[in-house]
Amino acid sequence: MERGPGMQEHEEVTAMDQVERMMQRPKLYNNIDGVGELGMGFMLLCFALLQWISNLSPAGSVWHRYGSFVWFMVMFAVIHYGSKAIKKHITYPRTGFVEYRRQKTRGWLAFTLGGVTAVAIWGLALVVRSHSELSGSHWGITTPAALVGLVFVVFYAYWIARPVRWKWAVVAALAICSVAIAMLPADVVGAVAGSTSAAATLDERSSGASLLTFAFYGAILLLSGGISFVLYLRHTQPASETAE
Amino acid sequence: MNLRTRKLAELDRVIHEPGRLMIVALLSAVEQADFLYLQHETEMNKGTLSSHLSKLEDAGYIEVTKTYRGKIPQTLLRLTAEGRQAFQQYRRRMKEAL
Repeated sequence: MERGPGMQEHEEVTAMDQVERMMQRPKLYNNIDGVGELGMGFMLLCFALLQWISNLSPAGSVWHRYGSFVWFMVMFAVIHYGSKAIKKHITYPRTGFVEYRRQKTRGWLAFTLGGVTAVAIWGLALVVRSHSELSGSHWGITTPAALVGLVFVVFYAYWIARPVRWKWAVVAALAICSVAIAMLPADVVGAVAGSTSAAATLDERSSGASLLTFAFYGAILLLSGGISFVLYLRHTQPASETAE
Repeated sequence: MNLRTRKLAELDRVIHEPGRLMIVALLSAVEQADFLYLQHETEMNKGTLSSHLSKLEDAGYIEVTKTYRGKIPQTLLRLTAEGRQAFQQYRRRMKEAL
């Protein structure tokens, strides 16, 4: 069969699509072993644990002073050096080494996005606190926490779940988790933060909602990263040491 | 010869070959990568990949550095400024032609 110009053009368009997809592959390679998710999950669980310990400890305790700082330092060190060690000893010998380009604009974009999100959350918290009808309402506390969680889910879906079909189940689990936390009764959310009364205070409820979000998100991401890591180990072998 | 055909004829033949196009596309997105990574992503065998890399190196589009990771030899590959420019030009011309 003779190929017409239309068919040739179609083949070239497909080839260009493949080129664009090829250019995206190094970005996706960063989480091929699930280390990105393991780190994120570990960090969120550490946040949850720290918040829980802080809630339970008395006002003048070490956890309300330098304890949190030491905790953060240890947590970041474990994530940084742990990820590096896994990449160096497991990922690079199996599927190769990649050094990413340092893009100044990307750093600024992430910084700006982070700043805008932080200001938006802070603004939302101020609005809730300043309106007595909102701060009195349970939904006024849990809904912002769920919305922040859902923003995270959108980022996760775009950066991590997009190319891996089974990760969409993780996206669904994270989204359901956010909605479920928003629907929990006020006394349950307050009790998580250590409140013993049925009418938990505003701070107790917001602390409980964020603690639950950190804990569940952390657990789900740790599980997802763990599955990715096991699958990666199962499907790859260390390369042979022959000449390249 | 119409404009589209002329644009296609002007394409860089070193990059236009599908195997080399994959390699250049991958390297364009990173600072540098090793041989094993390219082999994993392109699913080429060592001989074919080496042959493509030699052609790209001869054209001055990639820089090859032989080093060691511990006691294991490692071949690092990086797109040169010339290679990056050639790839950008290739993509521009391809988009114009389609």
